[in-house]
Amino acid sequence: MQNIDVGAVALSVAWLLALYGLVVSLWGGWGRREELVRSGEHALLAMWALVTIATADLVHGLVSRDFNLEYVAQYSSSTLPLHYTVAALWGGQAGSLLFWLLILCSMSAVLVLQNRTANRVLMPFVSATLLGVALFFLSLLNFVTPPFDRLPFTPGEGRDLNPLLQNYWMTIHPPSLYLGYVGCSVPFAFALAALITGRLDDHWIRSTRRWTLFAWFFLSLGNLFGALWAYRVLGWGGYWAWDPVENAALMPWLTCTAFLHSVMIQEKKNMLKVWNMALVILTFLLTIFGTFLTRSGVISSVHSFTQSGLGPFFIAFLLLAAALSVGLLLYRLPLLRSENELDSILSREAAFLVNNLVFVAIAFAVFWGTIFPVISEAVRGVKITVGPPFFNRVNAPLGLLLLFLMGVGPLIAWRRASWSSLRRSFQWPAVVGAGCVAALLAMGVWHAWALVSFSLCAFVTATIVQEFWRGARARQSIVGESFGQALARLVGKNRRRYGGYIVHLGVVLVFLAITGTSAFRIEQQVVVKRGEAFRIGDYQLRFDGVRAWQTDHSAHLAADIAVLRDGRMVDVLHPEKRLYKKPEQPATEVAIRSRWGTDLYVVLGSFDEKSGSATILAYINPLIGMLAWGGLVLAAGTLITIWPQRRARAVESWAAEHRGQRSAEG
Amino acid sequence: MYARCGRQGFRLSALLMSKKFRFLLAAFLLVGAVVYLMYTGVSRTAVYYLTVQEFEARRPALEGEGVRVAGRVAAGSVQRRMTPKGEELHFEIGDFSTDGSSGPRVKVHYLGVVPDMFRDEGGSDVIVEGRYEGGIVKAQSVMTSCPSKYEPMDEGAQMPAN
Repeated sequence: MQNIDVGAVALSVAWLLALYGLVVSLWGGWGRREELVRSGEHALLAMWALVTIATADLVHGLVSRDFNLEYVAQYSSSTLPLHYTVAALWGGQAGSLLFWLLILCSMSAVLVLQNRTANRVLMPFVSATLLGVALFFLSLLNFVTPPFDRLPFTPGEGRDLNPLLQNYWMTIHPPSLYLGYVGCSVPFAFALAALITGRLDDHWIRSTRRWTLFAWFFLSLGNLFGALWAYRVLGWGGYWAWDPVENAALMPWLTCTAFLHSVMIQEKKNMLKVWNMALVILTFLLTIFGTFLTRSGVISSVHSFTQSGLGPFFIAFLLLAAALSVGLLLYRLPLLRSENELDSILSREAAFLVNNLVFVAIAFAVFWGTIFPVISEAVRGVKITVGPPFFNRVNAPLGLLLLFLMGVGPLIAWRRASWSSLRRSFQWPAVVGAGCVAALLAMGVWHAWALVSFSLCAFVTATIVQEFWRGARARQSIVGESFGQALARLVGKNRRRYGGYIVHLGVVLVFLAITGTSAFRIEQQVVVKRGEAFRIGDYQLRFDGVRAWQTDHSAHLAADIAVLRDGRMVDVLHPEKRLYKKPEQPATEVAIRSRWGTDLYVVLGSFDEKSGSATILAYINPLIGMLAWGGLVLAAGTLITIWPQRRARAVESWAAEHRGQRSAEG
Repeated sequence: MYARCGRQGFRLSALLMSKKFRFLLAAFLLVGAVVYLMYTGVSRTAVYYLTVQEFEARRPALEGEGVRVAGRVAAGSVQRRMTPKGEELHFEIGDFSTDGSSGPRVKVHYLGVVPDMFRDEGGSDVIVEGRYEGGIVKAQSVMTSCPSKYEPMDEGAQMPAN
C-alpha cells in the first residue's frame, strides 16, 4: 500500500497557508488592519515550520535509504557517504527547489520576527511579496515536481549521486549560491513594499542593508566556490568557461554589487532613487532567471542538456514579477524624483554612477552572450552561439575600467573634486602604479593587458593602504594611540568604510589571479612513453609509468609523474583516471602542485596499454592561488561591514524609523 | 535673421556646456563602446549551433564555417588511434532520435584528449565544435553531456529492479 508522506502533506498545507497569508497580508496592509497583518505573519511562520518538516522528511528519507521514494532512489545509494547523502537534498531537481524554498521561508521568518515592532507600515507588503515567491515554489513542488513521489516498487539500490558531484565543494557551493540568490528577495520585497506604500525615502534601503550584504556575501562565495570546484574537478585547467550556468550566477552578483554601491549615493545625496529600485528589481529577476536557466535546458550548457517541464512556469513567474514591479515603479515615478543633481564629472557621485553603468553593462553583455542562441534563432532562424572569446573581449576592458574606478571612487571628493584634492589623494597611488609598470617592463613583461591590469592593481592597493595609513596617523595624533591601536580602532569605528576597503583588496587579488591565468598561462599536451620527459615552463616532467588498483566503489589508474626543476626532483604528482562502478562513469582526478600562488596542474588524458604511452596535459597557471586568497579577504571584509555596530546602529535605525514615519504622515 | 542665428548658436553652446549634456555624452560614449565591443565580439566569435538535422539542411553553405554540432555518436563508428600528438578520434554523429542508425550523419575528426564520458561503442551525446572542411568537422573540442545535476540522463524511471 502507498503510505502518505508527512512531507507531502506538509507541503500541501504550506501551499494553502502561503495563499492565505498572501491574501490577508495584502488585505490587512491596504485596509490598515493590524490583526489581519499579524495573521498573515503567523501564516508565514507556520509555513516555515511546515517546509522545515517537509525538508526534514526528505533528508530522513535520504539518510534512511528509503529507495521507494523516487528522489532517494534517483540521487543516492546505500554506499554513498553520509555527508553526500545529505547533500543529495540539493543534488536533484525537486530537492533543490525544496531546499531553495526552505532558505526563503527561513529568511522570511527571521525577517518577520525581527520586525515585530519595526517597519509596521512596510511589513504587510514585505510578507506578501515573500509569500508570493514562496507560493510559486510551493506550486512547483506540489503540482509539477513533487519530491515525495513514490515508485510502484522498491529498488534494492539507488542510482547514486553523480560522481562529479561527490566532491567536497558539493557540500558548500550550492548552499552558498542559494543563500545568495534567496537573500536577494529580501531587499526586493522591501523595495516593492516601499513602492506600494509610497514610503520612498531611503528607509527601505537602510532596513535591508545588512540583508543585501548578506546576500552579496554568499553570492560572491558561491561564485568563487563554483570556480574552484570547476578548477579542481573538471580537469581542463581553467576555472571559468562562461558557461550559461556560471553566467546565471554571475549576473545577479553584478547587479547586486552595483546596487550596493549606488545605495550609498541615495543615502548621502538622495539621488538615483529610480535607478536603485530598478537595480534591486533586476537583481531579483536575475536570480529567478538563473534558477530557471539551470533547470529548463533552454540554453544547453555543460551542466545540463536535458529538458524539463519547468521552463514555462518560470517564464510565467518571471513575466508576472517583472510586470508587477515595473508597473509599480512607473506608477511611483513622480515620487522618485532625485533631490540633487550631479555637479561635476570629477566627483564621487559621478565615479559611482560610472561604476554602476559599467556593472550593468557587463551584466547586459553576459546576458546577451548567454541568450544569444535563443535570440538568433528567433530572429534569423538559426542558432548561433558565442564563445568565451566574446565574453573576454567585452568584459576585459570593462573589468579594467571597474578596477580603475575602484581606486578612484572611494577617495575622490563628493560634489566636485578640486585639483589640489585630486593631487592629495592620487599622487602617491599614481606613482606606485607607474612604478609597477616600469618594474614589470624591466622584468621583461610586455603583455599590454597584463601591464594595465597589474599597474591598476598596484594603484588601487596603494589608495587603500594610503587610506588606512592616513586614517590611523590622524587618530594617532588626535587621540594619542599607538599605531596598531589606532589602526584597529579606525576599522572598528568605521566598519562599513574600512570593511569595504578590505573587500576591495580581495577583489584586487581576484584580478591578479584572472590576469595571471589569462595572460601567462602555459598549456602543453604531449604523448610520452615511460621514462620520457618534457618541459613546461621552468619544470621538467617525467612520466614514470602507471599503477592500477580497485576499491569497492571505483577502479583507479594513476600515473607517476616526477617533477624536476634544474635537474633536481622536487615533487611527484599522481594524476588519476577513475572508473566509478555505480553508475558506471569515468572521472578525471587532476594533480596540482602549488607554489607561491602558481599552480602546476597535471591531467592524465589517456593511457594506451599496447604502446605503453600516455597522453598528458600539463598547465602552468600563474597567480591562480590568489583566487582563493582573494575570496578569503573579500569574505573577511564583508564580515567586518556586516558586523553590528551596537549602539550607533540602534540609534541610527531608530532615527531612520522616525524620519520615515514623519515623512509618511506628513 | 542674423540675431536669431546668433541666439541659436548661443543656445547650442550652452547646451554643449551644460552638465546634463556632458553626462549624457559620457554615458553615450560608454554605451557606444560597449555596443561596439559586443558587436565585434559577436561577429568574431559566433559559430552556428546546429543539430545533425539542421546541419544536413545547410550543409553546402557551411563549408569553411565555424560550427558547433550536437548529436549522438553512432554505434560502431568510433575509431580511436594513438598518435605521437595525442589520441586521434574519427567518429560520426547522428540525430538524437535515431541514435544515428538511420538518417543523416556528420563525420567528425578530433585530435586531443578524449573526454571521460565518451563511449567508444557509441551512444554518447556530444557537442563538437570546430570548422567544417571537406565534408568533415575538424573538431577543436568534443564535449560530452554531463549527466545533468537535475535530471536523470535517460528518460523515465527505468530503475534497475535488482
